[in-house]
Amino acid sequence: MLNTFLSHQRKSFWRSRNRGGSIAAQVVLGLFMLYFLLVALGIGFGMKIFLPKFFPHQDAITSFNGIILYYFAFDLLMRLQLQELPTLSIIPYLNLKISKSKIVAFLNIKALFSAFNLWPFLLFLPFCFVAVLPQHGFLVVSAYILSIISLMLLNNYLILFLKRKSISNILFTIGGLAIVSAFVALEYFKIISIMAGSDWVFKAITKQPLLALIFPAIAFLIFKINAAFLRKNLYVEELSAKQEKKVSTDYAFFNRFGKAGELAALELKLIIRHKRPRSTVLMGTIILVYGFLFYKPEVIQSNSFGMMLFAAVFMTGMSIISYGQFMFAWQSSHFDGLLSNKIDFKDFIKAKFLLFTIASTILTILASFYCFISAKLLILHLVAYLYNIGFTTVMVLILATYNYKRIDISRSASFNWQGMGATQWISIFPFILLPILIYWAFNIFHQPYMGLLAIGLFGLIMLVTRGFWVNFIVKRFEKQRYKIAEGFRE
Amino acid sequence: MILEVKNLKKVYGDKTVVNIEHIQITPGETIGLVGNNGAGKTTFFRMLLDLIRPTEGEVLSKGENVAHQENWKNYTASFLDEGFLIDYLTPEEYFTFIGSLNQLSTADVGAYLMQYGEFFNNEILNSGKYIRDFSKGNQVKVGIAAALMQKPEILILDEPFANLDPTTQIRLKNLLKAQAGSMTTFISSHDLNHVTDVCNRIILVEKGQVIKDFQTDENTLRELESYFSA
Repeated sequence: MLNTFLSHQRKSFWRSRNRGGSIAAQVVLGLFMLYFLLVALGIGFGMKIFLPKFFPHQDAITSFNGIILYYFAFDLLMRLQLQELPTLSIIPYLNLKISKSKIVAFLNIKALFSAFNLWPFLLFLPFCFVAVLPQHGFLVVSAYILSIISLMLLNNYLILFLKRKSISNILFTIGGLAIVSAFVALEYFKIISIMAGSDWVFKAITKQPLLALIFPAIAFLIFKINAAFLRKNLYVEELSAKQEKKVSTDYAFFNRFGKAGELAALELKLIIRHKRPRSTVLMGTIILVYGFLFYKPEVIQSNSFGMMLFAAVFMTGMSIISYGQFMFAWQSSHFDGLLSNKIDFKDFIKAKFLLFTIASTILTILASFYCFISAKLLILHLVAYLYNIGFTTVMVLILATYNYKRIDISRSASFNWQGMGATQWISIFPFILLPILIYWAFNIFHQPYMGLLAIGLFGLIMLVTRGFWVNFIVKRFEKQRYKIAEGFRE
Repeated sequence: MILEVKNLKKVYGDKTVVNIEHIQITPGETIGLVGNNGAGKTTFFRMLLDLIRPTEGEVLSKGENVAHQENWKNYTASFLDEGFLIDYLTPEEYFTFIGSLNQLSTADVGAYLMQYGEFFNNEILNSGKYIRDFSKGNQVKVGIAAALMQKPEILILDEPFANLDPTTQIRLKNLLKAQAGSMTTFISSHDLNHVTDVCNRIILVEKGQVIKDFQTDENTLRELESYFSA
């Protein structure tokens, strides 16, 4: 029976209508997956080298012991937000002659097919073999592996249980993150050390490997609790994560922008209330750490802004490009309604500009914390900001009028290639390359600041002429709207 | 003449989905569009609303082609399917939004919705749900109420009776009848009883073509039944 279930699942995955249709998109998706797997594996094998660098005052195994519990604490939080409950898939079986315990067993096995259950293998097991095995022998390594796998299973089933039991509110995740960050801070100031605690646990296991059995015992207990809960409450509406009460909200801030502001507020609600746009926009904030990779003291010292420009444009404009590349398709499910209502297309387009400008402004303000590294970066960010709100916004919206692919926004964003087409790929290049090209043109004459000035001016001119661009895009939109609407109805 | 359809044609590939030579509609008429699946009713409605570009011909609303200007949006309201609802809003937010497009304040909208308590059966307002979480019937109610709220001169509804419970069907019929004369209504339906009851004119379409176009009288229902059972 279980095999039948799993074969159905396999079919539902491969035959899913939402899987990116074109082969090219799937190949790229495959490459990305491979890339992430390799990176994780690389970190796993590289830990022997990285760990002493990050924690120079202790040996690698102590550091490794220290990070295990941290990892699983973060893992738990990530799962709380991202792991999905495998509930819907059982609906067609509930009315059939299948015993409940079999359905529960299926649900529990299906829950294992999650990327979260793959990372620990890639991240931790290599180190176990490379470093722990030579030093402590086979028995200890087995104990390590057993502990790590058990912790993973523990998290897996614990989160399912928690999600089924209670409201999985984003506030929980933020609260949890705050707690973990507090512990990191306490760690940093050497007040309380989870790392030492984690190390203590695994030191004990090294001394007495049998102690590791405690983890599978806890994991098994949680598994049993979860299974018993499922068995007792096998009703679809009770199994899915509980719903919060929805309230109407009004973003008064937008009212000052008239009709366009109202439409922008509408779209803001769209972003906040759907998984895919939400994570797309959040991605834009995560990108803010890019600066740490690119802003090296020697690079800043020598005023070589070329590569830094790349990072700056990316950081201040990521949300524009990542959200904008699917533009209009976010609203594909009610696009007909938007067209047939009394909405001026000009307001419609202006609303997009408004949102983009606000997003980019927020990101630029956030990114200004890099000024602690060097005040020059503020100039760089300002230039990138002008470029983004002036040029990138226009670019993205012009390209949006060529986008006819519907997307289902309630699905998660990671590895979701629905709605990906040639437009999306092309759109990224000019956006990144253009400022670097302008900059290089000036850099040949060793005028880095003139280069920045030119980009900033270019952005400013585009910004000043925005009225013209709005009209231009509206004209295109008017011409294309039937085609867009038709594509979105599919 | 509030609406006029001239030589309207929509062709997909080699299949002609809609092919209507001429329809004239005078203000205040309530017209029922009747036809089997695939008769082209929804496509026709979409062309009335400028959502699909006709292959040939034109739709004139108060003499102006709907594809060339947007004045018709000021006096036309419609609900074809859930694609017209912004489903991630609460009903209140949606009504407020639609109201704001028509210069109605939040207070106006609230006052308007007061009279719909019965129609909504107290299931829609203050329910703490987004529109997407409603049953299909309740979504249809939201869509219809939002359309009526705009006090349109032309109202276009596609299959409004489908998915509604019997009580609401009757209420909707009464609502539509009460508006007859003051509002031009265009509805499509598979339920012959309802259309003959509500409409004073029936347009029967098949494979995109107008087969019959006539005023309703006491024999209409029988005529239609005999046509469709043949």
